[in-house]
Amino acid sequence: MERGMTVKPEMTTGLVWSALADPAHDSQRLFRQILAALSEPGTLHAIAVAEPPQARLGAALWGALLTLCDLETKIWIAADLDSPPLREALTFHTGARITNDPANADFALLTPESFDPDIPFALGSDSYPDRSTTLLVAVERLENIEGWRLSGPGIAESRMLDIGDGSRALMTRLAANRASFPCGLDAIFGCGGQLAAIPRSTRIDSTRIDGANAGEVN
Amino acid sequence: MNGYNFAYLDEQTKRMIRRALLKAVAIPGYQVPFGGREMPMPYGWGTGGVQVTASILGADDILKVIDQGADDTTNAVSIRHFFQRVAGVETTTSTATADVIQTRHRIPETPLRNGQILVFQVPIPEPLRFIEPSEQETRMMHALEEYGVMHVKLYEDIARYGHIATTYAYPVKVDGRYVMDPSPIPKFDNPKLDGNPALMLFGAGREKRLYAIPPYTRVESLDFEDHPFEVQTWEHTCALCGSDHSYLDEVITDDKGGRMFVCSDTDYCQTRRGEVA
Amino acid sequence: MYVAVKGGEQAIANAHRWLADRRRGNRERAELEVEQIGDQLRLAVDRVMSEASLYDPELAALAFKQASGDLTEAVFLLRAYRTTLPRLAVSEPLDTANMRIERRISATYKDIPGGQILGPTYDYTHRLLDFLQLAGAEVPPAESRDDVTEAEPCPQILELLNDEGLVEQELDDGSEPADITRDPPDYPMDRAARLQMLARGDEGYLLALGYSTQRGYGRNHPFAGEIRLGQVEVEIHVDEWDETICVGEIALSECQLINQFGGSREAAPQFTRGYGLAFGHNERKTMAMALVDRALRAEELGEPIVGPAQQAEFVLAHADSVDASGFVSHLKLPHYVDFQSELDLLRRLRREHAQNTSFGQSESHGNPATEEETSARKSGQGKHDREGGVHGL
Repeated sequence: MERGMTVKPEMTTGLVWSALADPAHDSQRLFRQILAALSEPGTLHAIAVAEPPQARLGAALWGALLTLCDLETKIWIAADLDSPPLREALTFHTGARITNDPANADFALLTPESFDPDIPFALGSDSYPDRSTTLLVAVERLENIEGWRLSGPGIAESRMLDIGDGSRALMTRLAANRASFPCGLDAIFGCGGQLAAIPRSTRIDSTRIDGANAGEVN
Repeated sequence: MNGYNFAYLDEQTKRMIRRALLKAVAIPGYQVPFGGREMPMPYGWGTGGVQVTASILGADDILKVIDQGADDTTNAVSIRHFFQRVAGVETTTSTATADVIQTRHRIPETPLRNGQILVFQVPIPEPLRFIEPSEQETRMMHALEEYGVMHVKLYEDIARYGHIATTYAYPVKVDGRYVMDPSPIPKFDNPKLDGNPALMLFGAGREKRLYAIPPYTRVESLDFEDHPFEVQTWEHTCALCGSDHSYLDEVITDDKGGRMFVCSDTDYCQTRRGEVA
Repeated sequence: MYVAVKGGEQAIANAHRWLADRRRGNRERAELEVEQIGDQLRLAVDRVMSEASLYDPELAALAFKQASGDLTEAVFLLRAYRTTLPRLAVSEPLDTANMRIERRISATYKDIPGGQILGPTYDYTHRLLDFLQLAGAEVPPAESRDDVTEAEPCPQILELLNDEGLVEQELDDGSEPADITRDPPDYPMDRAARLQMLARGDEGYLLALGYSTQRGYGRNHPFAGEIRLGQVEVEIHVDEWDETICVGEIALSECQLINQFGGSREAAPQFTRGYGLAFGHNERKTMAMALVDRALRAEELGEPIVGPAQQAEFVLAHADSVDASGFVSHLKLPHYVDFQSELDLLRRLRREHAQNTSFGQSESHGNPATEEETSARKSGQGKHDREGGVHGL
């Protein structure tokens, strides 16, 4: 949480946050990494973007925001990531609109801790499943080790992913995507400069034997 | 090229297409509506594929463009030139070397590898369109997973001809959910869609739809238990490289009924000839 | 020995050179200037601007010249250029009531406030070829437009009917209209999106559809309430100054049709409207557009849908000449691979047909399912019976 934090968020303004040095080529490179992350769920991608002053957000998610957002997108921000400098930086660098209505958000910024299954994010409809909120989740760990076993499109057999402790509620929700498919939530994870993703097409099982919740999450 | 952004499209249009592509890979086989733009080539000539390629292409990518499997057909030449002009990228005819391959009507014979992206040009993305012309109706059919009309259409072929008479743009089912048009590739290429290590992106410019098959995704060609899916076979081998396993084009050589069969994939054929020689 | 066709690049380069040569034509004659086209072929330029949805007379004239007078090609050129333009501002809604009028007629009243102004119309010309123009006749004296511009106010005719509640009201509810240049078509479309689609639709196509409604395929009894042409100010609101400023004038054609409506349980009988709007002098286009607009309101007004012009998805999905000409012309692209597939299938079918015929069988291939399937299909049943045997579905 403290890593790389030289300026406290409340002491800076959004204008201090760095943008992409070469917008056309940097955003292309970042997009290809995000595309690869969603095409092959659970794969890790190192995002080369300057760390934002708000360390918990991390360089990977800041890079994703700069790459994907503009004045046509709406962003919802959970309380534990929200700050005036972040809002200012987002508005200044992307033109994106901040919304308080999660059902109206194209992207939602949150952590596993601030995820609550009762937040009414947009899931899309059976006719337009693409009209859904994409979660951008700042996590403590992103490693291809025991934790969750992923399978489905983009994965030859299965792939392990651990996103840190306290992620059960979030992963249980993502595992439930299968039941509501094609409606559902796609999630992009950032941990510092590392990025990974789990789209709604992914099957998720817990690999940890910790009592009643072991095995298939949904 | 002066006056135009890298890869022609402005950054805001690219972002719009990129966001749609992320939805497309997250919902394999679902046609994502996108705000397709007019391009400097006609609709129907690959504008969907060109918009996808323009949105994903980077300065370091090596691009290959094929039409009917060949690198030297006029429209492939034209599209390759376009990206050389507006993006200055390196191009190749080698399937193995390319990072991004834009194609019309074929999947290369050389197996694709993980990390490559195959971009298909799609004229009519809706597999149900020729059964049900109304977009409102077909959207509802996809929503309800009501694909009975497609069964009926294929079965009518069997009843009439004794086998399914669809030879290209043969419908597939992606990851057990969406029935999808693989673009007008010959059904010979359909098995290559299943579990392919490459990412496959589909762009329909005029119809303003994008869709995708992520790597290693289950893709089944529709069939019946008593009439399993089968691909075309030839009695001939390629007259140039001797291949007995590639898709062959028939070439008329004179006005007396003379004809020969050659690989439609020119890179594959040339590579084989190089190896044999 | 067969050699694969090479030299596609050279062929394309040669074609481009030949085209440029043909475009220039006889070098002994002066080259057409873009300004001349804008000046003397203005109706072509106006049509190009309208269907390209870009108001720029100079570039439209250039497109017309570059396309050698092919209007569809010119529309495409200008439309493709349009996509590369940034959107700098959004104008306030245009107020055509404040049009600087060049032409204004109504077919519903003999005398109207502001008067009937014929303007520069072909309407009452006798369509006799003017051979004097062929010989380079004397130039007519320049017309002064002073007499028609700052005349008395010209209220919109349909608003005059409002007093009695005879005509439906069109009120701005302040909602954000769709933007067909940004968002993919989403059927069913609301009227704002439909009008946008029609405004850039091909004139010939709309004319034919509008005509079909007059011949009974979705008749709705139109009257030309008012047609006006002229200059309208474009205004934008500058947030920094909190002020609305005029950024220029554009020429517009507008047509308001009045149509009968018998009323319903909720609504008293009143006149309804069909609306057409286009850049420049594009009167025929606006009339056709207004007819089709009104026809497309059939569902909303509870009228029976009996004609093609009333079928929204059909009308709107095929109206755009850039879409249509692209897809039709793509048939010129190589289709060797699909054709080979069809060739292969056709040979197989003929082989099987010959075998069956030689065995003296009927063309049903002796498949007992055929008759049964057909009748089951007709009665709307049977399709679910088959699903049990399907895999991959």
